[in-house]
Amino acid sequence: MSENTPSDPGMAPAPQKAKSKFEFLRGLTLLGLLLLIWIALSLATESFLTTQNMTNLMRQTSLWAIIAIGQTFVIITGGIDLSVGAIVGLSSTVVSILLKAGFPIWAAVAITMLIGPIVGAFHAFGILRMGLPPFIITLASMTGLRGIGLLLTDGLTITGLPDEFVNFSRESFLGIPALAWMALIVAIPAFMLLHHTRWGRYIYAVGSNAEAARLSGVSISRTIYLVYITSASCATFAGILTASRISIGVATTGESWELQSIAAAVIGGASLFGAVGNVLGPVLGSLLLTTINNGANLLNINPFWQRIIAGALIVLIVWLDQMRRKKR
Amino acid sequence: MPSNKPHTSTPSPRAAAGDSNAPLVELKAVHKRFIGTHALKGIDLTLNKGEIHAIIGENGAGKSTLIKILTGAHEKSSGTILWEGREIGLRSPQEALGLGINAVHQEVVLCPHLSVAANMFLGIEEQGFGLMRQRAMIQRAQATLDDLGFRLPAAAPLNSLTIGQQQLVAAARAAMRGTKLLIFDEPTAYLARGETDLLFSLIRRLKREGVTIVYISHRLEEIFELADRVSVLRDGQLVASRAIGETSQAQLIRDMVARSIDQVHHKEAIKKGELLLEVDGLSGPGFKDVSLTVRRGEIVGLYGLIGAGRSEFVQCLYGRQPKSAGRVSLRGAAVKIASEADAIRNGIVLVPESRRDQGLCLNLDVGFNLALPIFRRLSPMGLVQRGAERAAVEKQISDLAIATAGRHAQAFTLSGGNQQKIVIGKWLNHGADLFIFDEPTVGVDVGTKVQIYKIFAELLKNGAGIIMISSYLPEVYDLCDTLHVFRAGRQVAAYAAGEVGHDVILGDAIETQGSRR
Repeated sequence: MSENTPSDPGMAPAPQKAKSKFEFLRGLTLLGLLLLIWIALSLATESFLTTQNMTNLMRQTSLWAIIAIGQTFVIITGGIDLSVGAIVGLSSTVVSILLKAGFPIWAAVAITMLIGPIVGAFHAFGILRMGLPPFIITLASMTGLRGIGLLLTDGLTITGLPDEFVNFSRESFLGIPALAWMALIVAIPAFMLLHHTRWGRYIYAVGSNAEAARLSGVSISRTIYLVYITSASCATFAGILTASRISIGVATTGESWELQSIAAAVIGGASLFGAVGNVLGPVLGSLLLTTINNGANLLNINPFWQRIIAGALIVLIVWLDQMRRKKR
Repeated sequence: MPSNKPHTSTPSPRAAAGDSNAPLVELKAVHKRFIGTHALKGIDLTLNKGEIHAIIGENGAGKSTLIKILTGAHEKSSGTILWEGREIGLRSPQEALGLGINAVHQEVVLCPHLSVAANMFLGIEEQGFGLMRQRAMIQRAQATLDDLGFRLPAAAPLNSLTIGQQQLVAAARAAMRGTKLLIFDEPTAYLARGETDLLFSLIRRLKREGVTIVYISHRLEEIFELADRVSVLRDGQLVASRAIGETSQAQLIRDMVARSIDQVHHKEAIKKGELLLEVDGLSGPGFKDVSLTVRRGEIVGLYGLIGAGRSEFVQCLYGRQPKSAGRVSLRGAAVKIASEADAIRNGIVLVPESRRDQGLCLNLDVGFNLALPIFRRLSPMGLVQRGAERAAVEKQISDLAIATAGRHAQAFTLSGGNQQKIVIGKWLNHGADLFIFDEPTVGVDVGTKVQIYKIFAELLKNGAGIIMISSYLPEVYDLCDTLHVFRAGRQVAAYAAGEVGHDVILGDAIETQGSRR
């Protein structure tokens, strides 16, 4: 566009070095920030670096990470999914109702998991066929699905879930909480899909330049269906796990988690303009957000202040990230 | 290997190659209607196997629509399309790609965030067990680029390359897709001469391999350098198809607009007035030590290759970039221009290089764009006076003959030439002493070009001065009263109109660039 770069075609630029080094740095600085906070919290409190607290931290991180990974898929296409918190609420109530009705656990989980593809497909349909912006169609689901959950439970809490179901979230395997394993079960296939298959490449292509993708023979609609179904399915899965973790079914579970998941994705380096993001980012972002909440609790910080601190940190982290990007 | 796998190098013996006069594509009475427009009115066009077929015409003549139909981006309204004698529908990009039809668009249509290799393989990724073979793809892409002589890194993100380099990637990408019909839509608009040479050798090589090429350009000399046949479109109709040896530039221009060649670079003798702008030793990001003057009634041209520092210089003059040294005087008094708003207050306006990115709010309407710089004047009490706004807007639409469905049409619905008229019109509405035009006629049809040159003359007669940047030598050569040549961020020469020939100026511009010309 402008003339600010010499355009002799013979020159051999080496920007890819800088880029990969930079990607590595971003992960590193986020990790560095985490470590810093962790060290500070271990020194400031006696309870932070205990097995019990660490396990607790990992459990909450896992739930948010699963949702944030799905959210990142949507964000890379330049979209947004505001419904994930509501899906968590709905799926936690549905699985609780089914379990109370005597369904075996596997069946209750399998049936509940259908919510993901159905809601995700509805979003993609709204975007592609009805021409609605992602913000609007998922905003509609955000309130609509909450309403369905409240209607199903009459606003009441479902208690008395089977022990095996409730105990799952408390178990550990090889010293790592079962919920963290569940996050890995989501993250690894998500990583392979996004970074090593052509479908992953099309997700980036649609976010970068949908017209170019279309003219290259990429199916935009399949890609959109893929990301919204992935996001809704991740949220459904997280909802089932949340029901196990809190051992009750409440329709209002997961309120404002959509914002947490967006924050985690963006802290992890995703761009709301699309085409930028990866799978590790939302995991680290969730870990950071959970650490902030956890640390503030341990430090006995007024919960109202916690919210303000979390907000300020989002601004700070994303601003620092953009400064780094500009410097490149 | 499946047939749609890319072939990278050496000409594969194609069955079609020997059969050079058989038609590959025949369009018969093809019409395309949009709401409110009849873009193509019964086109009959034959593209023979292995020929380079140029298509020319003014903006709005239907070239873009024709390409979109051939690439499946739009579906024809009526008519017949034959592919190797067989009727086809061409209803989707996938169908066109499946037949081996590819296009390199005027504005690069690739994914800027993906790597060069990922763009080249987009939609045709190599896979093993469902996973991409990324290293293999980067190697194949690099081999293709090297083989073509484009020294570009396959693993680099596309947005780290210049626009010209990205255009070469687009061409290489199309070339490696086992193409039968390849359409180039003004590929050289943003290319430096060295890059143009690389592109031409690629096109000639594809022709040798039996690929049919459709080449669209406003630069007639390129067409005579490259094409075998040329077709002229005017107002959605095909005027003529001729062998290149049997026609001339003058005839083609007459076909396009019924206007002769010496009228294109319209220039009037206008008396120079007092000194308007004086720049002394100005330095800034991308250029160093530039000195020049502009008088009222004078056109000062800045010529050079892309990347020579001309745009950087005017951007600094316009307050977009801070200067690091030097002085600027306007009307005899030193001025400090720290922002675009400063420049405009001082009577300097800029018609920028990229009208889409810098000149227009594309998804707002024509009227809004024309009134944007003068809303302050139109709203004396804080409220926009709609009557005054309408009057100002309608005046420019009729003065400049902007072809639009009306002032409420969105800017992106207009053709390139008409969009450029809006950008110029909005500054005519505002008024200024010094007008800076950065590549004002890129992608603009001949008719609009003449109109732009007439606007220049009008401005000069009213006492304005003009700085004009162009990479098209005949244009700056014929129009400018003084011509400054830039090379690698430096001002290397200055000539009065007609003082030296084209060859001297071109020589000044490319000396250290190692170009093959």
